Amino acid sequence: MTRQEIADRVINTTARELKMNASDIHETDSFAEDLGADSLKSIELVAAFEEEFDLSVVEEDALKVQSVAGAIEFFDSLINHQ
Amino acid sequence: MRSYELQDVPQPNLIESIFPYTLPPLITFEGPIHETIDGAEVEFDPRDVTTRDIHITDTTFRDGQQARPPYKKEQMVALFEMMSRLGGPNGVIRQSEFFLYTKNDRDTIDACRALNVKFPEITGWIRANKADFRLVKEMGLKETGMLTSASDYHIFHKQNQTRQQAMDQYIGVVEAALEAGIRPRCHLEDVTRADLPGFVFPFVQKLERLTENQPDNMKVKIRLCDTMGFGLSYPNAAEPRSIPKLIWRLRNECGIAPDRLEWHGHNDFHKVHINGATAWIYGLNALNTTLFGFGERCGNPPLEGAVMEYIALKGGLNGIDLRVVTEMVDYFENVIGTHLAPNYPFVGKDFNTTRAGIHAGGLRKFEQIYNIFDTTALLNRPPRVSITDKSGTDGVALWVNEFLGLKGDERLSVMKVAKIQRWVMDQYEIEGRMSSITDQELEEQVKVTLPEYYEKRRAK
Repeated sequence: MTRQEIADRVINTTARELKMNASDIHETDSFAEDLGADSLKSIELVAAFEEEFDLSVVEEDALKVQSVAGAIEFFDSLINHQ
Repeated sequence: MRSYELQDVPQPNLIESIFPYTLPPLITFEGPIHETIDGAEVEFDPRDVTTRDIHITDTTFRDGQQARPPYKKEQMVALFEMMSRLGGPNGVIRQSEFFLYTKNDRDTIDACRALNVKFPEITGWIRANKADFRLVKEMGLKETGMLTSASDYHIFHKQNQTRQQAMDQYIGVVEAALEAGIRPRCHLEDVTRADLPGFVFPFVQKLERLTENQPDNMKVKIRLCDTMGFGLSYPNAAEPRSIPKLIWRLRNECGIAPDRLEWHGHNDFHKVHINGATAWIYGLNALNTTLFGFGERCGNPPLEGAVMEYIALKGGLNGIDLRVVTEMVDYFENVIGTHLAPNYPFVGKDFNTTRAGIHAGGLRKFEQIYNIFDTTALLNRPPRVSITDKSGTDGVALWVNEFLGLKGDERLSVMKVAKIQRWVMDQYEIEGRMSSITDQELEEQVKVTLPEYYEKRRAK
């Protein structure tokens, strides 16, 4: 899976979970500060990413991810580099 | 001023010599305690509790029954049997006292004796008159407590006696006990409000002279009854409220050995447990207690608390089986129908239950952070979490993993329980709920959102 495909899926999943338009979400956005995700919503986002990529992630590592770019890097690393 | 430098250690210092986790935290002392008595400094060595034969006595069926509806005979027998197993074969719970006045009282003693357990030994309780004494003889008891009120509140205003009349009456009953071969245990009622040099010490010294030629097992015992909970544990508190001074004078000025001294407290000022422990530390051996602290007004030292204190002071179980405490709780709640306060230490439904999300998070990471000791192994009570809007996804994860019985790497992450946590939050934020989520509701959520795990648990 290319990095671009991963980025598209992260942004679309984020948009679905946060009930936003995908075009309003940018890689530089922070989930909490820019997109308004509270702590539970952040956990729900990670859960949604797990479903999207059919992966189980390590909780402590996944919850360190703070931004859209961070999520893309995290799943790119998991899918393409491990 | 001494300067302290940060020691940035590679491994945590969990201070396991005091917090072993496999036992309640240990109580250790680094040196003697000093007390000023009559202007001179006297010394107590609290470390001698490790070698002295400190033990627990019980009055669940006497004082404990004065504060609640009477127990049925079969209930007393069941609790007595459990008490025997809790205290173990070395008699940490050494004696239990019973009323003797009704047929039910006496039948209960017979039924408890029929259990043929070594401990607790059964003793009686009577008022200080010779007519009551007949009951002790008829029941064939080796020892009985007798009410010998010590303060002028009782002597003058309750008994309408002079001090001499009171002492003569008490001595008469003690003499009758000795003649019958029954060991007397004088209960110095209201001793922490009594004129100690003017009545208590002369009375105790006279008692001592009465039994000085008796064999050890017939020498008079003294129960110090802090009837209104006035006793104080603080160093250098004034008499008659000072527990250290009272014990010191009885031992050193009246010649009463520690194995013949007992503390009986009341909880009117929230001091009941610590006063009992203080009495142990300052030099008497027997701490009188009731199960769950039930007793007149605000209650007596809780037996289960004394058991924990014993372990902490001795540094080991000495035959105690703490799991029986949980059996007793179940019996109280389900058979007797008495509900204990949820936050009551060691026994309440919530004593090791957290509702705070941040604590639940700590429990998930390392149980010892928020559990007082290994309550699962010692009490058969794993730490629990109660779910509200404050318990967080960590709390839900802890509850779900405990419910599913998942350990180690099997345990589900917060992501796996996020849907349940969303349902929980909706209950409060959308539905306006004010009560905790019940276990049954959470189970239903597990069934709906994690069906494969739910089915595995059912299959187990």
